[in-house]
Amino acid sequence: MNISQLPELSAANSTLFRDEVQASMPPALNILEIDLAQTVFVDSCGLGALFSLYKATGNGSGGIKLRLLNPTPQILQLFELTQMGQFFEISER
Amino acid sequence: MKTLLICPSHRPAVARLTDARPLVLVPILGKCLLEYWLEHLVAQGVREVQVIASDRPDRVRELVGDGSRWGLRLDVSPESYELTPAEARARCASQARITGVTPPDDIVLIDHLPGLDQSPLLESYDAWFQALLAWLPHACTSDRIGRREISPGVWVGLHSRITAGAQLHAPCWIGENVFVGPDTVIGPGAILEDRAFVETGSHIVQSVVGPETFVGELTRIEQSLAHGDLLINWKTHSILIVPDAFLLSSLGERPPLDRPVKRAWAPLTSLRHLIPRQQE
Repeated sequence: MNISQLPELSAANSTLFRDEVQASMPPALNILEIDLAQTVFVDSCGLGALFSLYKATGNGSGGIKLRLLNPTPQILQLFELTQMGQFFEISER
Repeated sequence: MKTLLICPSHRPAVARLTDARPLVLVPILGKCLLEYWLEHLVAQGVREVQVIASDRPDRVRELVGDGSRWGLRLDVSPESYELTPAEARARCASQARITGVTPPDDIVLIDHLPGLDQSPLLESYDAWFQALLAWLPHACTSDRIGRREISPGVWVGLHSRITAGAQLHAPCWIGENVFVGPDTVIGPGAILEDRAFVETGSHIVQSVVGPETFVGELTRIEQSLAHGDLLINWKTHSILIVPDAFLLSSLGERPPLDRPVKRAWAPLTSLRHLIPRQQE
């Protein structure tokens, strides 16, 4: 499952984003990829939504891989500042 | 002896440091570049200084006044652009012929800290950080009342509070009136400027935290320059305006931008602060 074209993950849309992703996750899901290439703004609510998905996929040990693709350098800075980067597999593609 | 100091104007490589003030007034271990140079010149026996400033000369004049604070005769001359030393020399010679004013014995472009010619300050954010680290052993001068080196390479300023459980690793500079919370890791290579506030469990490594900057609980600042909500990674040159104040923010008033903002654009300018800046 691949999610992309997210201009932002913020207080304005993070709850909706989280609920919609969780609702559309098929039962036999192996990999959940979120492409952040188009994402120019993430705040703490957006980080919270990503962390909720991390927990929903079994904290990295539930058989479902949560992968974040192509985050901008600014979003990587935010992951580093909040120490959230350790929870996600982050890669460029 | 008379010396002419040329203040560097804009430097694209470190442009974001000048949002709130000219480069020569950016805090460096509790003082600014211009103050260090004036102290250095006084120690060399200079008694008269002319400062040429092209970037916000009124701010420069506001800081140095007439130089009496340093026992100097000092004058700030505004210019529309940054003169080269050769241009400044030619202009002084020309003025001397017309007015009879004594030309300076020496002309210095202050793009580095005194005595650190080999540590260029303004070439990049990386160079800025490395120059600050190189300056650490020179910065603990006798006029800094109450400052002490509590262990080799760890300097702490007056009225700073370091709670039990905080780990300080040399080299490390903690300014005045700084709060360092429990279970924090400060250093190696950490500079906390005056009135910084570091919350519980934060890590600050190879980084500068600017004056009056709040660092929230459990945050990690590494290889970065943090001034208020502005976070510059000096290694990658990536720049972020941190969106949430509980992570990183300014404890003071937001400094006025140097560039005038037209009223019609003001709301959009406010929104811009919510968006992470593109890499410069």
